[in-house]
Amino acid sequence: MKKFIGIFLTGVLSVSLLAGCGGKGAEKPSGEAGKDGDTPVAEQTDTEQPSGDKVTLKWPCIWSGTDSKADVIREIVDDFNEEYADKYEVIIEENTDYQAYRDGLRTSISAGSAPDIFTFDDDFELYLASGRLVDLTERMDAGWSDNFIEGALEEGTFEDKVFAVPYEMGVTPIMYNKRLLAEAGWDSFPETFDELWELADDLVAAGITPFSQMTGENAWTSMLWYSQIVLAIGGPDVYDNPEDPAFVEAAEVMQKLFEYTTGDAVGAGASVSGGHFLAEETAIFINGPWYIGRLQEDGQNDMYEQVEISPVPLFEGGKGEKGGYVGFVQAYIAAGDTGDPAKTEAQIAFLEYLTEPARVSKLSAHSGALFYIQSDGEADYERLQGQMIEQIEAAPYIQKSFNVISPAAVVNEFPQALSSLVLGEFTPQEFVDSLNSKR
Amino acid sequence: MKTTKQDKVGIALFLLPGVALFLAFFIFPVIYVAGVSLTEWTGFTKASFVGIDNYIKIFKDPVFTRSIINNIVWALVAGFIQVPIAALVAILLSFKPKGWKMFRTVYFFPQVISGIALATLWAAIFNAEYGLLNGILELVGLSGLTRNWLGTLESAFPSVLLYWVLYIGYFMVIIFADVQGISEEYYEAAEIDGASRFMQSLYITLPLAKGSIVTCMTLAMINGIRQFEQVYMLTNGGPGNRTSVMVLYLYKEMQAFSYGTSSAAAVVLIFVGSLIILGLNKTLGKETH
Repeated sequence: MKKFIGIFLTGVLSVSLLAGCGGKGAEKPSGEAGKDGDTPVAEQTDTEQPSGDKVTLKWPCIWSGTDSKADVIREIVDDFNEEYADKYEVIIEENTDYQAYRDGLRTSISAGSAPDIFTFDDDFELYLASGRLVDLTERMDAGWSDNFIEGALEEGTFEDKVFAVPYEMGVTPIMYNKRLLAEAGWDSFPETFDELWELADDLVAAGITPFSQMTGENAWTSMLWYSQIVLAIGGPDVYDNPEDPAFVEAAEVMQKLFEYTTGDAVGAGASVSGGHFLAEETAIFINGPWYIGRLQEDGQNDMYEQVEISPVPLFEGGKGEKGGYVGFVQAYIAAGDTGDPAKTEAQIAFLEYLTEPARVSKLSAHSGALFYIQSDGEADYERLQGQMIEQIEAAPYIQKSFNVISPAAVVNEFPQALSSLVLGEFTPQEFVDSLNSKR
Repeated sequence: MKTTKQDKVGIALFLLPGVALFLAFFIFPVIYVAGVSLTEWTGFTKASFVGIDNYIKIFKDPVFTRSIINNIVWALVAGFIQVPIAALVAILLSFKPKGWKMFRTVYFFPQVISGIALATLWAAIFNAEYGLLNGILELVGLSGLTRNWLGTLESAFPSVLLYWVLYIGYFMVIIFADVQGISEEYYEAAEIDGASRFMQSLYITLPLAKGSIVTCMTLAMINGIRQFEQVYMLTNGGPGNRTSVMVLYLYKEMQAFSYGTSSAAAVVLIFVGSLIILGLNKTLGKETH
C-alpha cells in the first residue's frame, strides 16, 4: 500500500511539475506577458484577443517613466483607446531601462516573434531581415505619407516598400554655456577649430574645464564628437571609405579634446559626463534635443538660460562645410507582423494616430524632441529647439553619426578603442585599425 | 536491505521530474549553445554552418584571451584570497569577542544588497573627481596616489577585484556555522595541553572546517568565472578592454548580432569553469571529510 501511495504521489508530482514547465502564456497575468518586449509567439497569440472583436495591441514602450515624452505618449494612447473603444486597445508596457528593452526586443525577434508595436534606433536592415515587420506601403500610398517631412520615409523603406516609420529625429549640435564662455572672455562660440583650442585654453586659464567627454557605456557624447570631427575633416561623403585618412586625423583631435576634459572622463558614463555640464563644471557638451528637458529640470543655477547651441566649428583644410550637421533617426516605430489581418489593421491605425501632425507637435513642444512629421501650422517651439530647426534648415548637409553608419560590433568596440586612444595605448592609426577590424 | 524491482521503479519515478528538468533546462541549452557555436547567426536570419570558425575567431581576438585570463585571475583571487579572508574572520568571530554579533551582521549585510546597487556605489567611490577614495587619500596627505581608479589601464582591474574581494559575508557565514559546530571537547583538550588560540585554530578549527572552506572556495571560484554585472556596471570592460571577462565578452558579441561567436565563448566558459572546479576538487576536495 505504501509503495502504491509513493508511486501515486510521484506520478502526481511529475505531472504537476511538467505541467508547470509547459504552461501557456494565457496562464500568466496579462500585465506580465511580453514584459521588456520579450514576448514568445505563443504568449502573444494566446493573449492577443481577450474578448469579442476588440483587438489588443501591446507596446513595450521606452517612452515611459521619467522620459520627457512619457506623459504625452500616455495621453495619446489614452485618447486612441477612447476613440476606438469598441475596436482597439493599446496597452503600454513600460520599459525604463533602454538596454534591457533592446536586448529583450532582439531576443524576442530572434525567437521568431515581434511585439505588436515597438521602437528601435538602428540596424533597420537586420530587423527587416527578420521578416517580422508589417508592410506599411499601401496605407502610406493612400495618403499617410503626407504626414512626413520630405524624404524621411526613405529611412524606413526597402525595395520601395515602407516597413518602419522614422519617428524621432536625432540631431546633435554642440551645446555651450555662454556664462562660462563669458568668464573666459568669449561672447560667441568659435567658428573654427583653431579658435576652439584658443577658447579651451582661455577656459582652462579661467579655471573652467572646457569639454564633457566620456568613454564609459557606449561613449555616447564622445562618439558624437568623433562623428562631428570626422565629418568636419572628411566632408559628408567620408563614410563611403572607412580607410579615409579623416578617421585617423579625427582620432588625433579626440586625443587633444581629452586633454581639456574632466579627470573622470575615461570610464565616465552619460550621467557623469552630462552631470558635469548640468553642474556648470564643464562649458561645452554635445547631445540632442531630448536633452533640453534635462537642461531645464536638472541644470544648476538656471543654467538652461545660459545654454546656446552651435554646429561644429569649421576644420581648417577639412572638406566639411560651415554649418554641417549630424542627424539620424533616433527612433523608428514598427509593427510586428502576426499574420492576423485584424491585428495589422489595428497596428496601422495606431501608427497613423501616433504620427498625426497635431499630436506630434504637442509631443515635440512638451518634450523638446524633434520628429520626422510635418509641423502642425505655426508650431510653438522651445528656444533651443527653434535654434536647432533654424540650423538644420540652414545646414549644407545633415549626415549620420558614426554609430549609425557602423556595424554593431564597431559601435561596441568604440568605447574601448577610444579609452585606449586617450590613455596612450593606441596611436590614432591603431584606434582606427581596431575599429575597422570589427567590420 | 535488498532493492526490489518495485523499489527501483519507485526510485526512477521519483528521479524522473528532476532528471527531466535537468535535461530540459541544463543539458538541452548546453547542447543548443554548442550547436549554435558552429554557425554564423545574427539572430534575425537563417543560421549557416561554419564549423569551428567561431572558435578560431574568438581565440584570435586578444580581448577574448584577456577575458579568460581575467576570469582565471578572478577565480583564483576568489578561491585563495577572498575565502581565506572569510575563514579568518569566521574563526576570529568564533572566539566571540565583544560585539561579535554586530560584526557578523556588518560583514553579512552587503549580501542582501543587489550587486548592481553595490557596483553603482563603488563607481561613485572610485570616481576621480568627487570619489570618496581620492577624498580620503587627499585628507591623509596621500594625494600623490589619487587617480581615476576605474579609468586607468593599470588600476582598473585591481580596483574592480579589490572591491569585490571585500564582500566576504556569504562565505564567512557558511564557515562560521561550520566552526560553531565543532565540539568544545577538542578545544578543552588542546587547552589542557597548553595550545594557544592560534594553534587551536590551526590544528583543530581549520582541519575540521575544511569541508565548508572547500565548498566556499568552489562557490567563490564559480562566481569568479561567471562575473558579469559588477564589471558591466563599473567599467563595461574598459578601459581598453582591461577589465573584460568572458560573460561580458559573449554578451557584447550577442549585442553585435554575432550569436555564433557568442555561443562559442559560452562553450569555452563552460569548459574553463569545469576545468577549474575539477582541478579544485581533485586537489582539495578528496581530502575533505
